[in-house]
Amino acid sequence: MMWLFGKKIKPRSAVESCAGRIVDVCELGPIQVHVAIDCRGAVCPRPQLLTMKALERMPDGEVLELLIDNPSSIEAIPAMTLTLGSTHLITVKETDYWSIYLRKGIDDTGD
Amino acid sequence: MSKELEGIVVNNSTDSELAWFARKGNLYALTILALISIGSAMALGVDTRWIYLLVYLWFGFAYGVLLQYGRFCMASAVRDLFAVGVPRMAVGVLIAVALFSLSAAVVKVIGVSTYFPSPIGWHGLIGGAVFGFGMVFAGGCASGSLYKCGEGNIGSMLVILSISFSQVFYVTQGGWLNKLVPAAWTASALSKHMPASLSVTDGWFDQFMAGYIWDLKSTTMAKILGFDGVTSGAFIGDALFCAILPSLLILILLYVLYYRKGYLRRRKVGKPTVTEHLHGIWSMLTASRNTAIAGLGLGIFAGLHMWVIGELRNHYGIFNFGELLAKMGHTAGLSIQNTVFDPGYWYITTQEAQWGGWVLHKLGMHDMNNIFYGLENGLPNPLFNAPGWMSIGIILGAASMALMRREFKWKIPSLETAVFAVGGGALMGLGARIGLGCNIGAFFAAVTNGDPSGWVFLAGMVVGAYLAVKVFSRWLDWRASRENFGI
Repeated sequence: MMWLFGKKIKPRSAVESCAGRIVDVCELGPIQVHVAIDCRGAVCPRPQLLTMKALERMPDGEVLELLIDNPSSIEAIPAMTLTLGSTHLITVKETDYWSIYLRKGIDDTGD
Repeated sequence: MSKELEGIVVNNSTDSELAWFARKGNLYALTILALISIGSAMALGVDTRWIYLLVYLWFGFAYGVLLQYGRFCMASAVRDLFAVGVPRMAVGVLIAVALFSLSAAVVKVIGVSTYFPSPIGWHGLIGGAVFGFGMVFAGGCASGSLYKCGEGNIGSMLVILSISFSQVFYVTQGGWLNKLVPAAWTASALSKHMPASLSVTDGWFDQFMAGYIWDLKSTTMAKILGFDGVTSGAFIGDALFCAILPSLLILILLYVLYYRKGYLRRRKVGKPTVTEHLHGIWSMLTASRNTAIAGLGLGIFAGLHMWVIGELRNHYGIFNFGELLAKMGHTAGLSIQNTVFDPGYWYITTQEAQWGGWVLHKLGMHDMNNIFYGLENGLPNPLFNAPGWMSIGIILGAASMALMRREFKWKIPSLETAVFAVGGGALMGLGARIGLGCNIGAFFAAVTNGDPSGWVFLAGMVVGAYLAVKVFSRWLDWRASRENFGI
């Protein structure tokens, strides 16, 4: 079994800090992304836990980008924002995954 | 989703511009529906009595459609509360519980209820805890994993395989497991004078059933509270006191503990009035529209399912599908009472134990000299396993829905996810056998039918899920520190 464990597996749900990356999201225009988490391939509860851990460490106003392909997490993440003191900006359905953008802090101007 | 919670959802996928019939997903979904319809018609052409089995299949299909539509994950109902403080799914489950209790009461008044209350004892708490612990690591409960199979999730398929085969081990093994059996159970099992062919004193599970479970009492809320009338017993004793009032109580608790603070902060309410709180509770109930709709639908379909099966049993003059199978000439795999597993309502884990059991039986790895297969559930060919077809229906229904919403994707698990799936599935199998069912059979179907044992199972499940979330969270932290990706 050693070959299986020894193999270099691309870390799933890798969290990267990407201060200053600008993504252009239709409807919302350009958004500056501060932290990105790629949860593609991960199932519950990993995306939820990673989102929570990331948001806890981010200062107000920063934006988190999540890439997810697990449908039940798509429903769960926006529902989390109220509890976590953050704002769901937008969910974009790409061909075989979703990108979710959350901003830390409660958005007074939103909605 | 209510307006205040909802961000914008945009569809950017490449085929969103195409006409309905030009989308591949829709065509695949139609193909699945057509194949099930043709298969059903062919089965009825052979013998109209297969309708009994097809009812299970089509109700399973409906459950699968609704589960996928609401991304209804019972595992996350308890897990997400502790993990991230989100009551969304717990709310959905409680809506389903309230509705199912009402539709179940109607079925009871009609007189065709298929539900029998389960014994109440420590096993519910322990089984629930083991099940709840496994569920968090597996990434879904028993039905959750089935509908996720339909979304193309290979990890969930591993969970189902693990549940199927691990249960065979638990219910058939004697040997060193016999040493774990209290002497009182062995003595009590012996005193039941079971047929020698079952060898009830050999096997942990046999002695657990005959020596412990059979000595416990089961009851309903209507009996406890002394509602003797059929209608008052069903609606007031069972539905109101065992399902609706406890659900309301938990909903208020969820609002106070998990929703109120965020809601009031967002609404900028300083000193909330009762009306403001009621608005808050309503906002919590409707926060996820899909989940609420799925909860309503599941509650209604679960009741309808009992009703249709009850009427069919009356029509054929049977108590159990095994009798019908015998009349149709399929006697292989029936239990010594001529029965097979046929709950008459939504149930998951036992039919999966039969799939695994059937395969291992064919391979000669065990025989039916035990209570689980030999006396109670039989070991029918999976083709004739009615509840088994319900499980397949859930997969196919969820697949159709996922394909239509372009959410289907083959997802290959990482090694870690695969290990968690197999381990979690094996724990869920163990919990389901100790607790006499999963979150559907031992909780959802129980509390909605006035059986308080369901709340015992839920209490265990909550404890197990809470511990598992703590362990899982530690695991993620440990992994993060090792991989050096600090945020």
